[in-house]
Amino acid sequence: MKGSVIKYERDNIDTDVILPGPYLKIHDYNELAKHAMEGIDKDFHKKVKPGDFIVAGRNFGCGSSREHAPIALAYSGIKAVVAISFARIFYRNAVDGAFLLPIEVDEDTYKDISEADQLEIETSKNEIRNLTKNKTYTMKPFPELIGKIIAAGGLFNYKP
Amino acid sequence: MSKTLFEKIWDSHVVIDEGNGRSLLYVDRHLVHEVTSPQAFDGLRMSKRKVRRTDLTFATMDHNVPTSNRSLPIIDQTSATQVKALERNCKEFGIELFDINSPDQGIVHVIGPELGITLPGATIVCGDSHTSTHGAFGALAFGIGTSDVEHVLATQCIWMEKPKTFEIRVEGKRKNPHAITAKDIMLSIIKKLGTAGGTGTTFEYRGEAISELSMEQRMTICNMSIEGGARAGLIAPDEKTFDYLRGRRYVPDNYDKLVEYWRENLKTDNNARFDKIFTLHVDDISPQVSWGTNPAMTIDVTDKVPFPKEYAKGNPEEEKAAAKALQYMGLKPGTLITEIEVDRVFIGSCTNSRLEDLTEAAKVVKGQKVSSKVRAMIVPGSQHVKKQAEELGLDKIFKDAGFEWRESGCSMCLGMNPDILAAGERCASTSNRNFEGRQGSGGRTHLVSPVMAAAAAIKGHFVDVREMDLN
Repeated sequence: MKGSVIKYERDNIDTDVILPGPYLKIHDYNELAKHAMEGIDKDFHKKVKPGDFIVAGRNFGCGSSREHAPIALAYSGIKAVVAISFARIFYRNAVDGAFLLPIEVDEDTYKDISEADQLEIETSKNEIRNLTKNKTYTMKPFPELIGKIIAAGGLFNYKP
Repeated sequence: MSKTLFEKIWDSHVVIDEGNGRSLLYVDRHLVHEVTSPQAFDGLRMSKRKVRRTDLTFATMDHNVPTSNRSLPIIDQTSATQVKALERNCKEFGIELFDINSPDQGIVHVIGPELGITLPGATIVCGDSHTSTHGAFGALAFGIGTSDVEHVLATQCIWMEKPKTFEIRVEGKRKNPHAITAKDIMLSIIKKLGTAGGTGTTFEYRGEAISELSMEQRMTICNMSIEGGARAGLIAPDEKTFDYLRGRRYVPDNYDKLVEYWRENLKTDNNARFDKIFTLHVDDISPQVSWGTNPAMTIDVTDKVPFPKEYAKGNPEEEKAAAKALQYMGLKPGTLITEIEVDRVFIGSCTNSRLEDLTEAAKVVKGQKVSSKVRAMIVPGSQHVKKQAEELGLDKIFKDAGFEWRESGCSMCLGMNPDILAAGERCASTSNRNFEGRQGSGGRTHLVSPVMAAAAAIKGHFVDVREMDLN
């Protein structure tokens, strides 16, 4: 998985800014995508490219249980969010529908990655390679259940 | 082996244990609302599945519904579509629905307990993060996303990774329990723990300051567990819990037998160990006001808007976040909290829209007038709360003072219906989230208790309600 970084240097990016409340009425996922990150970045929809990664700080996706948040990011083209930590409902929602990968890294890795860096993520090795800076980082392995849901391709394909 | 209350409820609901805490849990009650369910029902249709336990599934519409005149159609077409979709889905799948015209309609987390759907020891899920509210009854209740809603509709089960246990000890006695409310206790906890302090855990609130709370106050506490990062927060049931639920419509017929069982079993064993412990002493806490853009950015009403450097205590990321928050909130560091003027006041939401919230707020409002600079509204949490309040004459107290008295729903908590803030408007709000844009794009939210919100409506700025006569 290779892509370019859109970085938000902040903690607590909540689901109300990832997808503001008024758009929760929208049923069409491609329409939802047009409003992704609108709460803090009105230009997100214009700059995001298919395959991009978001990099952010702690507690990404805190707040509401709206699955619309990972859906809006996924339909914008985001393949993974790399953050120091995630709020648990967002974390689960991201993988349930196989929308995107929530990847946890340590603070040094978060700080080292810059806007527009090219990353290559290999989850089978828990490895993130920064092709721009020619460095390799370690991602935290997925918890067992999350890893199995991801491997199955989403909740509905998961069999114990 | 000694167990915590959470572990007892968890263990009694495991259908499949895959080891390492990975379990398929049985769900006793599934609450559904119009926003997070449409795609779940679409999924059922596509896979030709039915709702497995229609008798354990209950629906209402709360997020989208206007809180103005209910005899009029919903003007916003996308809202109307979402509301109609829930009606159609409930009819097609055979789910009981408390619709917009039902005398039982209300915010899902208000009507669950009110109707006796919420029960001690039960597992309760809903596509809404404030499902933690039901933990006040000793239920293991947590919010889920739409895929999990579909999974529960189809199977009545949910895959979960077992959270850690986190004891939140709340000790001491509040000096003035009318002025220092459950909201102030909870904001004080979140202020110290941080918004991610409870991530991956279930809170259990314990201690004398919790026991003395009424059921409605306990709901305010558990409601905001998610604001501290915990998906669920619970309080062991006691006589107050059993009395509150007795006689409510959906409690089982063998209620008294159940109470005997709950009394005996639904408590944390003396020697049980929690993975984490946090203690708050309430003796000296003050009314709380949030100044920033997450619920941990909260301060005593007697204090000043903090300087980012002083707030951050040497953490550069926190300093940046505080500076950004102050910019968004249009606040200058060093300003006295009591000098902050508000444009709007909102008393409502699943946190603070129950009868006791309104009776307490009415004590502040009685015989007073809302400041000419403020637009203030009261949005009861349910039609039952509204009716009971009207029977007590509270509507008259609020209307005489210049408050709007509205129909039940989520209203201005989340900017999904006509009740929103305009950009730049500042609101004293009894809701649960002060995130950027939460109450409307550019809107500025200060989280407070119902009495603090009512006082701000009268004075036009925040005041320390301890200076008022609230008895």
